[in-house]
Amino acid sequence: MSTVEFAGISKSFGNVAALHPIDLDIPQGQFLTLLGPSGSGKTTLLNICAGYLAPSAGRVVVGGRDITALPPRQRNMGMVFQSYALFPHMSVAENVAYGLTVRKLARDEIARRVSDVLKMTQLEGFGERAIRELSGGQQQRVALARAMVIQPDILLMDEPLGALDRQLRKEVQFEIRRLHRARPRTTIYVTHDQEEALVMSDRIAVMRAGRIVQIGSASDLYESPVDTFVARFLGESNLLEGTVDIVSNGRAKLGVPGLASPLEGRAGQGLRLGGAASALLRPEAVRAQSGGLRALVAERVYLGELVAVRLKLDSGHELWSRRLAGEWSARDDVEIGWDASAISILPDASVQS
Amino acid sequence: MNLGRISLNAFVALTAAFLVLPILAIVPAAFSAQSFIRLPPDAWSVRWWGTFFNDDSWRVTLLASLRVAAITTVVSVVVGTAAALGIARSGPRMRALLTGLFLGPVVTPAIVLAVALYSMARATGLVGTTVALVIAHTTLALPFVVLNVGVSLDSLDRRLLLAAAGLGADDFRIFRSVTLPLIAPGVAGGAVFAFVTSFDEVVLSIFLAGPTVKTLPVRIWEEIRLAYTPVVAVGATVMIVLALGAASASRLLQRKRS
Repeated sequence: MSTVEFAGISKSFGNVAALHPIDLDIPQGQFLTLLGPSGSGKTTLLNICAGYLAPSAGRVVVGGRDITALPPRQRNMGMVFQSYALFPHMSVAENVAYGLTVRKLARDEIARRVSDVLKMTQLEGFGERAIRELSGGQQQRVALARAMVIQPDILLMDEPLGALDRQLRKEVQFEIRRLHRARPRTTIYVTHDQEEALVMSDRIAVMRAGRIVQIGSASDLYESPVDTFVARFLGESNLLEGTVDIVSNGRAKLGVPGLASPLEGRAGQGLRLGGAASALLRPEAVRAQSGGLRALVAERVYLGELVAVRLKLDSGHELWSRRLAGEWSARDDVEIGWDASAISILPDASVQS
Repeated sequence: MNLGRISLNAFVALTAAFLVLPILAIVPAAFSAQSFIRLPPDAWSVRWWGTFFNDDSWRVTLLASLRVAAITTVVSVVVGTAAALGIARSGPRMRALLTGLFLGPVVTPAIVLAVALYSMARATGLVGTTVALVIAHTTLALPFVVLNVGVSLDSLDRRLLLAAAGLGADDFRIFRSVTLPLIAPGVAGGAVFAFVTSFDEVVLSIFLAGPTVKTLPVRIWEEIRLAYTPVVAVGATVMIVLALGAASASRLLQRKRS
């Protein structure tokens, strides 16, 4: 287990910059998720950490030691691939034992550790099975077991749940979370799925176009996104476009065409007076309020204990609300409001890059 | 069954007959009691089988053929697998160049190769040696190994190699424990092709064989020019059986794997 430090790591393929210089410190035992759309550079950063790719510049430092030039086999990292990359000609136990056999451990030590990790990943009794006899979820767990059994300094996971169906994905998310909580190990997890990031991570780095746009806890990112990109990427969002009227002391007012009064809220970074920006209003903050703005209920989606309602304002704007089912009356003509503290005024993402 | 279907079946049967019958026709000739080949034989006997296996000039050539084919197989499997690994690792342009180079002997007319190799063998005093035959046969057998192993390598998931490296394995270990087991069907297929290629090679062998080392096809060729006896048919039948044996062995091996 170790700290990880990326110092000025960048990567170009020919003239194309896949990663702009990145500085990132990960404390020991932290579960960090690199979250972003495809092409954002998250897998490139992971492969640089594993040693499968050499950075164009910068250093990778693990536990105080510069490992930038070390080949993958000397890095003692456990990698879980999206495709699992299990050895098809070996049994489950042989796959899991591979890293230990390579390390020339004693036979009974290998047997003990393989059996321990199979128990931990709920694969007891599967040791002799062939890989092709396993379901996707079981293969995923073998891949995890194979990576963990070598007691890696760092655990790396590249969209490990991408091939699983939704139900299974949820189970494995909590499984990974349980394993991490039981024995915290520095982990870098790559995904484009916000739900995975929210469930498992201690800290999330949102990436776009080869840069880390924002880094913080799940609640930091959800409640205080730096721009509309992060706002859109985590959770559902209503964004109202307008012009910045006032910025001061971390607060801002946004004039939105069609709304009688400007929207006031927490100011994101890089707002310019008179510039274009958007007001973020999370759907759970939008509620019925007598004497508020008049709106029409255009659509009602039943989500179990919650109901999602699409509201059409007189100004032409559309807002989604997501509240307990009982809060919205059956009437189509409603008056709505929101908590003033729920609004953030954010620069548009395209302006930043 | 409609007419189209019937005529298609007939066409397929005819094509198969055209391919196989001339080869099979030689088999009854091996069981003739006469002193010359005639189809069908007027009287049957196994006397020519006795001649084939008792006469040193035949038995020794059969053993020489097997020996040359075995050594050729080993050499071309080792060299060809290494070459295929190198080709798979190189960039797209180098890859096209190398593939063309390694497949060259297949498209070069055999007589051209024969003349070239003969002049080399003369210059080095290797004419009539096992070494010369093995080198010559290897040039012909190598492309089949490179091709077969190359196909296996193309379907090999590179991430398996990354995974093995990440788990601490060095290059040789990765090759031994991951690459080789997974390309084994291609290596086996290449080996069978190499063996059969060497075993039935005649053009290069006529140039390079000598009185001390002579392969079975060369001996058959010599015999036919002197006397058209059924012992030639025996030699041919032996070759057919061995080639079929090698081919079915490889099929069995591949089926067992998959």
